[in-house]
Formats: sequence, structure tokens, C-alpha cells
Amino acid sequence: MNVTLTVNGELRSASVPPETTLLVLLREHFMLTGAKTGCDIGDCGACTVIVDGKAVNACLMLAAQADGRTVVTIEGLATREGLHPLQQVFEETGALQCGFCGPGVIMTAKALLDENPSPSTQEIRTALAGNLCRCTGYVKMIDGVHEAAKMLQSTETPALAAPQQR
Amino acid sequence: MKPFGYVAAKDSGHAVALLAEYGKGAKVLAGGTDLLADLKNSPHPPPDVMVDISRAADLKGIALTDAGLRIGALTTHTEIVDSPLIADTLPALAEAAVVIGAVQTRNLGTIGGNLMTCVPSMDSGPTLLALDAQVTILGPSGRRTIPLSELFVGPRRTSLGFAELLVEIVIPKKNVGKPSAFQKFGLRKGQALALVNAAAGFWGGDGVFAEPAIALGAVAPTVIRAPKAEAWLAGRPISEEAMAEAGRIAATEAKPITDFRASAEYRLDLIAVLVKRALAGAHARVTPNQKDLAS
Amino acid sequence: MAEDLLERAPDVLEKPRAAPVETLRRADEGLRLPAVAPPTTLPLEPPLVPQVGEQTRAVGLRAQRPDSRYHGLGLTRYIDDIALPGMLYAKIKRAGISSARIKRIDVSKAEAMPGVQAVLLGREIPLNLFGTSIVDQPLLVDEIVRHAGDGVAAVAAVTEQIAQAAIDAIEVEYEPLPGVYDPLEALQPDSPKVHGGDTNIYFKKLIRRGDVEKGFAQSYRVYENRYTTPGIEHAPMEPFTSIADWDANGRLTVYASIGRITLARVDLSKTLRIPISRVRVIGTIVGGNFGGKNEIRHEPVLALLSKKAGRPVKGRFTRVEEFIASTIRHPMIMDYKTGVTKEGKILARQIRMVLDGGAYCSFSETTLGKASILAPGPYAIENIHVEGCVVYTNKTTSGSMRGFGAPQVCFAYESQMDEIARDLGIDPIELRMKNFFREGSMSATGQVLHSVKVIESLQNAARKFGWEVRS
Repeated sequence: MNVTLTVNGELRSASVPPETTLLVLLREHFMLTGAKTGCDIGDCGACTVIVDGKAVNACLMLAAQADGRTVVTIEGLATREGLHPLQQVFEETGALQCGFCGPGVIMTAKALLDENPSPSTQEIRTALAGNLCRCTGYVKMIDGVHEAAKMLQSTETPALAAPQQR
Repeated sequence: MKPFGYVAAKDSGHAVALLAEYGKGAKVLAGGTDLLADLKNSPHPPPDVMVDISRAADLKGIALTDAGLRIGALTTHTEIVDSPLIADTLPALAEAAVVIGAVQTRNLGTIGGNLMTCVPSMDSGPTLLALDAQVTILGPSGRRTIPLSELFVGPRRTSLGFAELLVEIVIPKKNVGKPSAFQKFGLRKGQALALVNAAAGFWGGDGVFAEPAIALGAVAPTVIRAPKAEAWLAGRPISEEAMAEAGRIAATEAKPITDFRASAEYRLDLIAVLVKRALAGAHARVTPNQKDLAS
Repeated sequence: MAEDLLERAPDVLEKPRAAPVETLRRADEGLRLPAVAPPTTLPLEPPLVPQVGEQTRAVGLRAQRPDSRYHGLGLTRYIDDIALPGMLYAKIKRAGISSARIKRIDVSKAEAMPGVQAVLLGREIPLNLFGTSIVDQPLLVDEIVRHAGDGVAAVAAVTEQIAQAAIDAIEVEYEPLPGVYDPLEALQPDSPKVHGGDTNIYFKKLIRRGDVEKGFAQSYRVYENRYTTPGIEHAPMEPFTSIADWDANGRLTVYASIGRITLARVDLSKTLRIPISRVRVIGTIVGGNFGGKNEIRHEPVLALLSKKAGRPVKGRFTRVEEFIASTIRHPMIMDYKTGVTKEGKILARQIRMVLDGGAYCSFSETTLGKASILAPGPYAIENIHVEGCVVYTNKTTSGSMRGFGAPQVCFAYESQMDEIARDLGIDPIELRMKNFFREGSMSATGQVLHSVKVIESLQNAARKFGWEVRS
């Protein structure tokens, strides 16, 4: 079957068998390997992408269900002008160790900040409950989300914020 | 995953027609968070065709109708959490929705899907059962409405017949606004199944437990009510001791099992504590003349 | 067509051709990274990473991971993000029974399936055994299944889905054998022997210092406690994944997220019976290791599938396989007997421990050694007796995991220190201070210790976690 969806601002199509998940579509057909296959049953969150503004497990959604929708993956965050504040902060604070959970965590955090520009620590914890990490731990990630929230609020065009001079 | 066919239903009527057309080989796909996870590791043959109802707009939505509070079966847990109407009328429903899975699964998973899994630990069940929710079922021969308690038959077994589809959940008007609360205990606060969950509600404007209702999850083959505890509580003056005693009685009405998550003894203790907390949570929502205002 | 071409005006390149940005962007469709460096560039080397050949002061500097920018951009290529042209997907059939003899295995249906390019059985592997000390672990079981996660056959197919269907179509007939699942039971003379012979014990360790009996005799009190710890799966976020590519010249390239590349080359060379010079292992970025990715797992199987099929083969463990077919932390049973003076000074400590090694040896020797050496704790004790052994059981293999046995014994000796402190009515920190190693102390193995900072460490810690103000 044919599916057509907007991925990171571009209209893309593929012909896939019906049992193809959104994760397989992104990774194997569109070569967007940022979303990871960790558990493949919606427990670990490594495959998190944003569909129509909501963070979802790409492994638990069929490609067919994403037809006609708008998907943002980790590859769609950085712009020509620079990194997304979450990417920048996570890099600076060492919130990415082995990095395998990173894209999922960043996408979940982005969906959170899009809806709630200044979340409390508890709100961040609740949002990240579905993203498992085995190396870094969650403290630096939570700090990072707070920091990114501040950066996003202090710039005029947040998504296009240039990396700050260090 | 093993190969299966796929067809998207435009609306509930179309979905039922498709289910009738494909018969036993068809499977309803809503949010997919349980179904797809199961299919990936299942040793059984896959369905011939997946009837995807996730685009059926008539199955969505939360609204107050003449019958009561109507929740479309396809309403996601996140939509329930975010609904101002539910926050106003029955915040216990949001309390139950917000502890299901994690953000990602709440964004996909639906209330109807949660009920249709019919697992004893479902978090949507107890609150709805305590509020005497009715479910509307659409089939080839039309619509029928049954109490939620009659939907649950056993673990992973519902009373739905051939080509039938759960379309909406209605909380009867008399219970809209009833002070109620939901409690869950899992091994983690997020992304965990309930070891035990419980919901309780009562009208307390007159200082006594009026029309008390208690429901329990993960302690029997399906989500159950605790009629003895309810009967004991009815008409008694509101007190913490009474809440604790109702919890102890409720524990006698359950038949929890021992599994790798918890022992039966531990679950019995949890029932007593969670029922007490749910009653206390409901009590915190009691205001004078609430019942009169609601009806 | 040809005429058309001939009649066309010549397309002369008059100036260097610059591709329009759109074309460049097309090169990595979907990625929104700058194809042309924008005025503000996106340096791929983060600024706080010391560069090669550059002398930097490291202590006190905030360092950044050199690869974290790629991690955050989703551009890091983990092994599962790599796909080679023509690559096949492998699946391994797991026994699903913990102790059995294979009576019959029929792969004909799998072989006949369209899309299946190769099927492999254990007997086709030149040396179907590997291991870091005792070489006892088959890559694919031929005859005796020793735990449920043992592989019995492997398939390479054009898609993962077909490979799985082929695995499901393989028929195996088992004759169940008695199994042993408790390490203490495994010590019994009449217990089933996982690897035959007359015992399930495969390593022993004995450390003696002084005379514990004399120490116990002089003690004010003697405490005897048993401590147990469970098996723990590493559960790295990235499942085991490898790609094997056996080329036409008989050279093998394996891409794997393995932590010990040289060991992997040695094991590949031994099991495949090819010179090590023909084996190249490319270690990819590791998505979490914790000791679980220290040795080969399915790589020789993938290599032979690749050789048979003539195409590169990728194998990825499912999350279930991670739990049943990888290694775990050794479950341990530890008996601690400690004699102390009235003031809390430890006079003697005797430790007996049994490690549950699971079905195969893996890193058990190292683990038993380290656990035994560290078992008395960071305490200066004159009389020590440590006796440990590791036994086979029909369970998931225990292997290396952070600390190699150290966390298990630490749990035991610190738990006992608390019990002693409670019983003697001594502050638990004070009890430890009394017994800690000091500069020049000798460990149970006779090592004289220098730069001993354990007292200061605990003092600092106690101050920081507010021990003084505890209720």
C-alpha cells in the first residue's frame, strides 16, 4: 500500500506492506535512522517521534495510520541556523552518554515544551517516564529540559536560535 | 510482525460493515498500543485484515448529552487528561487516564481500546465501573446499550458479538459530578501496570456516605465492584475510620492472584489502603448541595 | 533519440558548475542539516573536547563528549543504523526448553521458503564452541540444550519477517532431560550435571589469612548471616546487533557493537578456523554495554550465513532474546560469619559463597576471583577465610557485568556491618571507621595498600548526606 506523509517538512511517499510500522517506514524506507529500535513494543521510548504535535512510539503505530499526517523526527530539529536548544543543552550538559535513548528523549521533551513552555520538574519527570535510559540517568536530562525551556523563552524566534557563543 | 491486510474505516458504520464482511479474520485497530505490541511477539497467526478505526471521527469526542457524559470510544487518554469538561465534572476519570502507560502511549491509546483489552489491571475500568457507566455497542443489527459490568466476561474476554464495535461510553446523568477519586499502585510511577487500582465515589453533602460506589482492578478476573463494602458504608457518617473499614471489607471481596509482580497477600493489603485513599480523595471533592446542583 | 542528441547545441561547461542548493539538499533528503554552510556554521567538533595532539589540563575542566553532538542530532550511526547493499536479515531459533536432547531437527520447510537464502545448524560451524576461560559454549546447539536461550538453528532471509517465518517453520523434537535450577541444589552429588562429569562446580577460589577459628574464639560475639542477590540483565537500550560480510576473497568483516574487538577477532578466527588476518572487526558506537557486550554472541553464525548466502547478513536480538540469550549478572548466595570485639573491632571473617553461573562459563572465573578478593570488604581484618565456587545450572548464562561480583559482596558485607552495629549499639559509621583499611594495611591477598582514602571518603559522604542530623 502507498503511504504519503509529511516528514520534517517534506512530503514523502513509500509503498509498504500494511504491517509496516511508522518506525520501520522512517528507518528503512526513508533512511531516517534517528529514531531507534530499542524494545519494539512501546516500553523504552527510543523510537519516539512527534505526529501531529504529539509524541508517540513510532513502533506502535502503523505507517498506514500516519498517512496524511505530519511527522517530525530528531533529524527535523536542527535548522540551517543551528541546533535546537534541547540539542544544544543536552550536548553541553552531558545529558547524552551512549546516546541511544537521546533522540527519543529529545523528541518527548520537545513535544512537552511545545505544549508547556515552562514545565515543572514533576511535569518533566512525568513526560519522560516513557523514555528509558541506562547510562546517563535522568538528572542531567531534567536539568537540560529546564535550561532549554529558558532558552526558548528568551529568544525571539526560538526554533531558529543560533548557538550561543561560548 | 507477520503479514496482515489493512483497511481503514471512515466511520463506525463503515467499520461494522467491514467487520461483518471480513468476519472472524478481522481485528479492530484503534490506538494499537496493546494490539501491535501483542502481535509482534505472538506465536498465533495474525489477523487477515486489520480494520483501522483510528480515522472514524464519530467515535471521538467528549460531550454532555441528555443521557449523561458521553466519551467516544476512540478518545485518547491524553484527550481525557486535557478535557476541561472532565476536569469539571469527573476529575477521577482524568486521574485514571494520566497514569496509563507513558505520554507516548497515552497519545495513541484510547479509552475504548483499554476497556476492550479486558485485562484485569486496566486503569480505565474502576472509575467507569464505580460510576455505573453504560457502553454503547454498534453491530450489524443496530445499536445496543449495556452496563459496563456486562461488557467484561473474563481476562481478555468481552461480551461483544460478531462484527460488533464499542462506540461510546456514557456516564449516566445522575452520576455526573459525583465526587470520586482513583488510586493506582504500580512498581513504578510511570509506565507500569497496576498491582492494584481502585476507584470510589459517593455523595457526601449531608455528612454521610450517600450512594457509595467502590470498584477494584487487578484483583479478580475482571474489574469488579465491592458491594459489601458499599453496603456497609451507605448512610454512615463520613469518617476516616469508616473509610479504613470499608477498605478492609473491600479486601474480603477480592480474589487476587500471586504472580511475579506481587503476592496475593500484598495485593490484599494494597486494596485496603487504596480504597481508603480513594474514598478520602472523593471526600476532598465533596461540596454542599452538590447532588442537587448536578441533577 | 540519438539524432536528437546530435542536433542539440553543445553543452559547454563555461564555468565551474555549482549545484543549486535544492539539489544538494536532495542528497540527504529529509535531513535539514546545512548542505551549504550557512553564515553561522554548525561545527561538528564541540568546543570543549580536547583535540588530538593537544596538551590540555584535564582535571577541573568540564569536558564534553566528542560524539554528543551527533547523538543529539540523531546522526550517530549505531550498528542497527547501518545497512549494506543486498543485506540479509538473520534470526536464531531459541530452544525454549532448558534441558533437553535434540532428537530431530528439520529445516526443510524453512529452506524451501521463498526469500530464505541460508539456513545454518551447529554442526556446520568449524569449531562450535567458544568461551573466555573454559571453552564450553556452543554457538548453535547440536545435541544437548542447557538453557532455554540456547540457539538451535539460524536463518538468513531477505527480510526480517521472512527470517522469522522460516524460524517458526523449523521443527525440533526434544527429549526433555532433568535440569538443575538452584545453585545449592547443583552442589548436591545427586543433582543433574549440566555438562556431564561428576560435579557442577567449575571454578573454586580459596583465600586464607591468619586463623579464623582462633579469631572467632577470641571474639565477644560472632554473627552469621546469609545474603542473596538475584541475576540482573544489563538491558542496554541498544540490543545486540551485528553485521557480517564474508567477501569473495574469503575475508570476513564484522560490524558489531562489541566492546572487546581483539577478543572478538580471536574468537571469530578460532570458531571459523580462518587466520585472524582474514578477520576484520569494526566496532561501532555502543548503545550501552555495562559488560554485556564483551564477547562474541552470534557473530560467527552471521559470518557463516553470510558465507553461505554470499551476501552481508545482519542479526539483531529482540528484547526477549536480550533477556534469555545474552548474559546476566551472577546471582550469588553469600554466607558471612564475622567475629567482633565488644568495641566492634572485627577479629575474624569467614565467607562462603556460591555463584550461579548459569549454563556456560563466560566470565565466571574473573567474577569469582574478583568477588572473592573483595569479599571481606575495605576492612583491616587479621583472620580471613574466603571460599567460593561457581556452579552450572540450566539457566541464562552469567557473565561479566560492571564490578564482576563486587556489588554482590558489597551488598553482603555492608548489610552485615549494619546488623553488627545495630546489635552492638554502635553508630554504623563509627563501626566502619574502626575497621577501615589504613595506609599500609594488608588485604586478604597480601597486598599492601597505599593512598588509602576510605576514611576521608566516608567522612565526606557522611557530612554531605547529613548523617549528624539524622533522626
